[in-house]
Amino acid sequence: MNMNMENSSIWDNFSSSKRNIYSLYIFLFFFILSMFAEILSNDKPLVMSINEEIYFPIIIDYKEKNFGGYFDTEADYKDSFMQELIAKDNNWAIFPINPNSYNTINLDNPSPNPAPPSEYNYLGTDDRGRDVLARLIYGFRLSVIFAFVLTIIGVIIGIFFGAIQGYFAGRTDLFLQRFIEIWSSMPELYLLIIFSSLFEPSISLLIILLSLFGWIGLADYVRAEFLKGRNMDYVIAARTMGLTNYQIIIRHILPNSMISVITFLPFRISGAILILTSLDFLGLGVPPDTPSLGELLSQGKENIEAWWLSLSTFFVLVGTLLLLIFIGEGLRESMDTRSK
Amino acid sequence: MNILEVNELCLTYRNNNLDRKILNNISFNLKKGEILGIVGESGSGKTITGQVISSLIDLKKFHITSGEVKFNNENLLEKSEEYLRTIRGNMISIIFQEPMLSLNPVQTIKKQIIEVLKLHLTNDINEQDKSISDIFKKCGLFDKDKILNSYPHMLSGGQRQRVMIAMAIICKPSILIADEPTTALDVNLQNQILNLLKSLSRESDMSLILISHDLDMIKNYSDEVVILKDGEIVEKNTTTKIFSSPKESYTKTLLNSRPKRIVKENVNDEEILSVKNLDCDFLIKNSFFKKNKKYFKALDNINLSLNSGETLGIVGESGSGKTTLARNILQLLNYSGKITFMNHDLSKLNKEKLRKKRKNFQVVFQDPYSSLSPRLNIFQILSESLAIFDNNSKDELYAICKKLLYEVGLDESMLMRYPHQFSGGQRQRIAIARALSIRPKLIVLDEPTSALDVVVQKSILDLIVSLQEKYNLSYIFISHDIRVINAISHQICVLKDSRIIESGRTTEVLNHPKTDYTRGLIQSNQIS
Repeated sequence: MNMNMENSSIWDNFSSSKRNIYSLYIFLFFFILSMFAEILSNDKPLVMSINEEIYFPIIIDYKEKNFGGYFDTEADYKDSFMQELIAKDNNWAIFPINPNSYNTINLDNPSPNPAPPSEYNYLGTDDRGRDVLARLIYGFRLSVIFAFVLTIIGVIIGIFFGAIQGYFAGRTDLFLQRFIEIWSSMPELYLLIIFSSLFEPSISLLIILLSLFGWIGLADYVRAEFLKGRNMDYVIAARTMGLTNYQIIIRHILPNSMISVITFLPFRISGAILILTSLDFLGLGVPPDTPSLGELLSQGKENIEAWWLSLSTFFVLVGTLLLLIFIGEGLRESMDTRSK
Repeated sequence: MNILEVNELCLTYRNNNLDRKILNNISFNLKKGEILGIVGESGSGKTITGQVISSLIDLKKFHITSGEVKFNNENLLEKSEEYLRTIRGNMISIIFQEPMLSLNPVQTIKKQIIEVLKLHLTNDINEQDKSISDIFKKCGLFDKDKILNSYPHMLSGGQRQRVMIAMAIICKPSILIADEPTTALDVNLQNQILNLLKSLSRESDMSLILISHDLDMIKNYSDEVVILKDGEIVEKNTTTKIFSSPKESYTKTLLNSRPKRIVKENVNDEEILSVKNLDCDFLIKNSFFKKNKKYFKALDNINLSLNSGETLGIVGESGSGKTTLARNILQLLNYSGKITFMNHDLSKLNKEKLRKKRKNFQVVFQDPYSSLSPRLNIFQILSESLAIFDNNSKDELYAICKKLLYEVGLDESMLMRYPHQFSGGQRQRIAIARALSIRPKLIVLDEPTSALDVVVQKSILDLIVSLQEKYNLSYIFISHDIRVINAISHQICVLKDSRIIESGRTTEVLNHPKTDYTRGLIQSNQIS
């Protein structure tokens, strides 16, 4: 879309409220930070020097054999063999700020799992000895990316169907509308349960299943916008000028209906995060090893005395949703022409 | 004796801590039984003036900085809300432009009238009944019981406006403010309503303030005229003096802007468009069975023809099928019949061929605010169709668009701006430039000047005529205003209830009208 007067005034409106602008910046800060999760939180050293040679384990996989070990598998830098090697004179290694990955199991933990916060695990461990902080960082990233993907797919399908219904109206609209009614009356949750037992659960399966239903609400909305737009004078003028249907939709109606779609986005993203979390909480979501906020929450429920599990997850989740809702609210207000 | 004196009234509008002057130093007097006309363009402050007098303005938004409004020698601006409520509706009444919006759609007329009566006059049912019968008779509402038990949507536009008037004058106010009372009505109805207001004023010695943008209407009905521009009084005088010897140059411009015949006669008889036996039905009740389907005949056996370089004026009231006819000619709706354009039968072309033919006939709409896409700039709007039909480079497109803007009296610095930065008249010029961009042979103008003020209207009409002479364009000009049609068209069609009731050369039809309807149209507009 063009960065025209209207758009820049939307930005002015949005940034005139401190709450909006701080929410956006804080969210972007954490989101971009989480993109570098492998550097922030990992059990491999960023750089290390063994016997005068420089290694970058975070980028390149080294076999344990390379360092004089026995196994032809990837080196475990937390293993006593590697630790001793690093501790030798002249050898050194720089570990990330949080020296644990989401699947690193702390085997040397003095207290039983889930273990409270310590110098090895800043936010403690979960019931399998995995680092909570690392799982939060990776889980946050996964949730947000998952939500983005789900939203984008939903928006594309929703706009596609909504545009066709609204623009062509009449019989096309009638048939698609009936189809949507039938489609949306399928029980989504049962389908999820059935499919998660039929297939091996994975992120992509989840995205496909949720996308099948996620576009319906948006399609209704886009349809209404297009029904309104197709009778505007400038659209009729475009038709008399001989523009094709595709050109009219893309150039004339779509840009004028985008505002409502954009307003919806932050709410859809927060909704998608919530869906993923609840499915994980119920055990219907991502595969067990994957770092997920929902799984941490359900562990927190199982181990009610391990406050570091439930509280930390709770704050991450509430913070994310709150920021997204603030952003969405700000967007909605700044695009609402009636309030001016 | 002055019943109302407005002295040096100043009013500002407050928005986001920005004060904007709306009214500046407004002073005028209103005598008992007199009819005062307030004329001005939209935005000149005429409606606000009426609302200040009837104490209807929102004091949170509007701030009266100085001046006084004296009603019977009492300054209304200093009075309490309770006192004003006894004045409002009782001593000073107001009727608005849109009768459908001013009546509550979910209550019967009876309930709404009795509400007014209870508030200001009496609780006695017999007395209420008597005053309702009186007032209905005066307002020309004869079928009293039926109207009283109707809901607003069951009445016609004229009846609704009469009911509004009846409600406004049932308490026998001293002043009635009529804010564009007839703009939403058809010409013949307009006259009836205005005559009614005038006779009511004369009979009961009621003062009337008539607010309008229509100079002719003011000329015919008011004793005194106040001309407003940008919140200031340009000139005030008796009606005869204003119209015979205007002093200020703005008044003169306003008077000269009334549409006069500006087209030259044309001797070309090469036919460019012919419409034969055109019918158009709208489905109003759908059903699975064919016999249960119900249709509304929007156009009934329309025949017309247009010569190249000529203008065909189509005049008719709202709902007569003018716009449907335009859309049929533009091939935007399904119809039966034959439309031949430049020797091609358009109804026989397939979609793709039709799309290629479309460059020859273009359209300009009434509402300059909805006819330009708000998200495209002027260059994009103008170059859009050029890019489809010709393969021009970007530089060539710029040159063409600049030329187009000059052609319609705008300049090239506007090329990169967006529609909302322009005034209504400028937008209409842009819409005309867009229609011109692919050099069509025929342009359908659907009420192109109805949303504009008289001065702007005149400049647009001049532009349309000069473009016609320059490019030998043919126009179909649709309007409800026979004065505009008279100004611009060579031929005329009078459309009523989906049928053409009269057609021919403009001068002929207007000088020797055959039907009563046309005669009424001409008389009520006093075309000279």
